[in-house]
Amino acid sequence: MLIRRVAVTLLAVLAACGKGEKPAAAGHDAAKSGIRVALLTPGPISDQAWNGGAYAGLMRIKDSLGAQVSHVQTKSPQDFDENFRQYGSQGYDLVFGHGFEFQEAAARVAKDFPKTIYVTTSGHTVAANLAGMDFAFEEGAYLAGMVAASVSKSGILGCIGGTELPPVKASFKAFELGAKSVNPKAQVLTGYIGNWEDVSAGKEQALAYIARGADVLFQNADAAGLGIIQAARERKVFAVGANADQNGVAPETIIGSVVIDLPHALLTVAREVQEKHFTPRVISLGLKDEVVRWTVNPKLANAVPANITKSVDSVRALLRSGSMHLPVGATSDSSR
Amino acid sequence: MADALGAFLEGTVRTATPLAFAALGEALVERSGVINIGLEGSIIAGALGGVVTAGGAGTGVGLAAALVAGAAVAAVFALFAVKLRADQIITGTAVTLLSLGLTGTLYRSAFGTGGAALGTPTLGPLAIPGLSAIPLVGPALFAQPITTYLAMALVPLASWWLARTHAGLALRACGENPAAARAAGIAVGRVQTAAIIFGGALGGLAGGTLVLAQAGTFVEGMSAGRGFIAIAIVVLGRWQPLGVGLAALLFGAASALQFAFQAMGWQLPYQLFLASPYLLTLLALALARSRFVAPAALGKIVEA
Repeated sequence: MLIRRVAVTLLAVLAACGKGEKPAAAGHDAAKSGIRVALLTPGPISDQAWNGGAYAGLMRIKDSLGAQVSHVQTKSPQDFDENFRQYGSQGYDLVFGHGFEFQEAAARVAKDFPKTIYVTTSGHTVAANLAGMDFAFEEGAYLAGMVAASVSKSGILGCIGGTELPPVKASFKAFELGAKSVNPKAQVLTGYIGNWEDVSAGKEQALAYIARGADVLFQNADAAGLGIIQAARERKVFAVGANADQNGVAPETIIGSVVIDLPHALLTVAREVQEKHFTPRVISLGLKDEVVRWTVNPKLANAVPANITKSVDSVRALLRSGSMHLPVGATSDSSR
Repeated sequence: MADALGAFLEGTVRTATPLAFAALGEALVERSGVINIGLEGSIIAGALGGVVTAGGAGTGVGLAAALVAGAAVAAVFALFAVKLRADQIITGTAVTLLSLGLTGTLYRSAFGTGGAALGTPTLGPLAIPGLSAIPLVGPALFAQPITTYLAMALVPLASWWLARTHAGLALRACGENPAAARAAGIAVGRVQTAAIIFGGALGGLAGGTLVLAQAGTFVEGMSAGRGFIAIAIVVLGRWQPLGVGLAALLFGAASALQFAFQAMGWQLPYQLFLASPYLLTLLALALARSRFVAPAALGKIVEA
């Protein structure tokens, strides 16, 4: 009986260790002058997209500012509060919750740890030590939609997301508006996988769209998005990269990427915190700041008609100057 | 419309293949009297084994590595659950959590933070001449990767083995009445251990299929609960290999239907479609009346 109990305990301890990096794992021997910065990602940092970009940002903060950094991948929404609290109680200076879904947990926890600044990316809640970053991803998505419609033969485009988060929804809406500005008859199909990791389900969803005639797929599904790109590659249709420059992931398939320069954005905030002139606000970043970009894959640039490239440039200029506004912003979605 | 139907059928079979592997393995394990909740761990380990080896050594080696990785995880479960007679549910849960965490860590140490991207070779569909030309069902059943044919072959094989061989009888005896089995000279622990390891190997193959026949990459947590769905499939299939095979197809169909619905652009809440496989299980379990029931000693700790 005893041996059984010991055995189970041992296995449980092993399992706990296997769950990954502990917030406390950050090196305490690092330079004392540097600030301490932590990052919570909702998914694996090997997704070459949303999470990978943020991790690259964390590494840049470490390299440029000499900060002590720590990263943890949250497994479920229950982990959000817990991990925010962990870092708060350890006296971290800055904690990023990487995504819209972290907002509420950050607002709850920030009250209890006034010395720690909490920032949620694509969030818009603000308090004394709580800020949001609002990426105008939809501006890039609009340009992507223009190009997608111009390279589509069938006029059917597909949008596949992980879950129906307002920023994701807004980007699909903008993609559709962009596509219809080029081809008013374009049909845009929108669907969600239900999570951000099931790469095989992502591929199946993409194959179902391709069977419907879709020949350009815009994906915003993090790690599961790789399955969508894989489907496009096998069936020889175009895909659009998202959140990071994914043009290299499948150079013969990805027509271009809507990039968020997460490393630059995260570093900017961290620098403000280090230099002690950070003010809590919604930090809006978009095409004008070069934080959101639409990058055509140079290997497939020939596939894009010259007149489209020209109109993309002029729309980009309009969006940057603020004289054109997209009626799709995640912040204008008051339903949540 | 025929196109959409064909795509739906193909999607059904593709989605069902890994589920069938995992559920067939689990069915044999459960028939030996053990419930292995750690199946999810074998699947994710198999996926990792596949991605690590296939890049350099090809898809064949990748599948073999998936098999071994899945079996290795199951061996850990067997050590605790059979040899040390620990609680099977707790052990299985621990094995799943351990594997999900450990595979992520190992993946990063093998491929760095950037991951393997889409660099892993995949098994293309292997069309069977003649049969694959049958309208509608031809491409769905006979133009699939080799793993699908393997799953198809395993169903009757497992059926036959379980019902018609001495070893199959011994396995069933362990699950129904381990004391009687021991009295008849069967080494219950050894039979159960073998069943668990074989079941884990099939779970690993399920993971290998996800990587090598479908995604072409590894993602942390990409098993996405398939191990638990497989356990539900075993119940739905009433612990019979044929029933399990059909139940796996049903689940595949439910998932494929969800993809097809979304592709139709129907303006219904997508969560409804996502829930459909699970609703189907509940419905089937509530309505199913069958002479086949769970092995009498399922999940019970066999005292030495």
